[in-house]
Amino acid sequence: MSKRQLSGVVILAVLLVLGVVARLLISRDPTTGGVHFNWPDENIFVLRFGAVRSALVGGACLGLSGLLLQALLRNPLASPFILGLSAGAGLGAMIAAWSVSVVGAGSVGWIAFVAQGADGVIPGTVGSLAVLVLVYALGRRGGRLDPLTLVLAGTVVATICGALTLLVQSLMPPASRGDSWMWFMGQVPELPSSGAMWTAIVLLCASFAASFRSGAALDVANTGDDEAESLGVSLRTLRILLFICAGALASASVALCGPIAFVGFVAPHLSRLLIGSRHRALVPASVIAGAAILVWADAVRQSIDVGAGRLPIGVLTALIGGPVFLMVMRSRRMRAGEWSC
Amino acid sequence: MLKIDSLSFQYGRRSALKELTASSNAGKVVALVGRNGSGKSTLLRLIAGLAHPSVGSVLWRGEHLARMAPSRRALEVSYVSQRPTLSIDLTVQEMIALGRFAARTRLDSILRIDQAIDLMGLDGLKERSFHEISAGEQQRCVIARALAQHESNGLLALDEPFSNLDPGETMRVFGALKQRAQAGALVVVAMHDLSLVDRVAETVWWLEQGQLVAAGVPADVLTPAKLQEVFHCEFIRGPQGLTLTSRV
Repeated sequence: MSKRQLSGVVILAVLLVLGVVARLLISRDPTTGGVHFNWPDENIFVLRFGAVRSALVGGACLGLSGLLLQALLRNPLASPFILGLSAGAGLGAMIAAWSVSVVGAGSVGWIAFVAQGADGVIPGTVGSLAVLVLVYALGRRGGRLDPLTLVLAGTVVATICGALTLLVQSLMPPASRGDSWMWFMGQVPELPSSGAMWTAIVLLCASFAASFRSGAALDVANTGDDEAESLGVSLRTLRILLFICAGALASASVALCGPIAFVGFVAPHLSRLLIGSRHRALVPASVIAGAAILVWADAVRQSIDVGAGRLPIGVLTALIGGPVFLMVMRSRRMRAGEWSC
Repeated sequence: MLKIDSLSFQYGRRSALKELTASSNAGKVVALVGRNGSGKSTLLRLIAGLAHPSVGSVLWRGEHLARMAPSRRALEVSYVSQRPTLSIDLTVQEMIALGRFAARTRLDSILRIDQAIDLMGLDGLKERSFHEISAGEQQRCVIARALAQHESNGLLALDEPFSNLDPGETMRVFGALKQRAQAGALVVVAMHDLSLVDRVAETVWWLEQGQLVAAGVPADVLTPAKLQEVFHCEFIRGPQGLTLTSRV
């Protein structure tokens, strides 16, 4: 690892630690609205530590998923939220929940396992990968992937998936819906489901290992298809393996935190800014950056009261990530066509 | 030895190459010539093992190139496309180092990368971003990557590598390719500058509408009468070789 890469990773790690400390200590006085930093009592600590765990794992999943999508699609605008993977995962999980609660599919053992697997991660992964295949097919113009067409296709498919999720939800009995409205806006649960948490951790570790091992291949894959194959990369194998990782990570983050916008987009860009473009270093950096961004966003929102409670985290990440997205879209390199497939 | 046997290739229903048979021993520079759309780029992709023939075969030292695993093929065959692309930000040196991806032997790689940088005259540019150098310098950079990729007796397939180079750089690059051929490599290069082909290639393969219509030494294949018939331009063959004489 070069000096720049090492110092970049250290900066991100320090940011992450500071974010964790801030989230554990920050509190808001409900009467005066003032922000305080104090060590919480045991009961509050459990809740805050639960939120930290959710943000760490959810953010790390989003950061790595975003990096893999940007690298494999050679598209700096890609992320699990923008390409509709998060929406697809939500739809998959909702259809699975509906099939169990309404159709009674849960009475059949293997269907129950697939439908409820790891608190919705399995059907969510199926949904996110189905969306990825669809968006990939729709994003092609003249036989080539066009970065902006891909984003447009992702946005439309995400909107359709969101509408279908609402439809499926409305078909479910009220008692089975849970607090899905909050989930739709994205949340960092203080008491995360242990099934979703452990599944996300296992998927994150496996995907991290696969991505880190493929770091040099990802560098080569960012030349043209023919060039990458001639340099010794089996693009087909690389794409299948890492697209599955990206889809599963998006699904795990959705099962844990709901669809959270732009973390998966900003984390790889922040990492590139600090450590450069080599993927062997970008993989750990994006994991740390994603976790740091979500922990910090969760800490900051604790101090913002919108009247009916604290600012939803999805709103905060969208307000910060949206302008960054527009900056990248209008950047010189995008206009110069250097990012093309 | 490269052996192409009854090779046909189709893009959907459109036939790009038809029943093409040719062969060449290593240690030579083979120039692919022909009009635009005659099938040169498609043939180069097949020679580099990047596409599967619809019919027929392309064998390098007795092995089907398209059936070889990319990681093994990369140790024998390198390919330079018409338009080099890179979606991430790498320095010239890092870009050339990608050529050693399949080799994974660090010490040997550093030596080869340095040699390739030196051969292509990129010493002063190696720390610059690939995106910030000129099109001609980018072209030299990807040729350096191909030279660094495998042993000196491998196969190099280059698709119009001189399109962005000035005459001095063209001669430098061709010198390096010639040197590689003399060391035992087979260099197959698609090009349009027929005067240059005449001076530097040992063998010419002439393609028309996906078929090999002539093959041999330049003096036999590139006759002024034939060039006039195909390109509607006047050439003369003198003591300096083939020269274009048509004026606009």
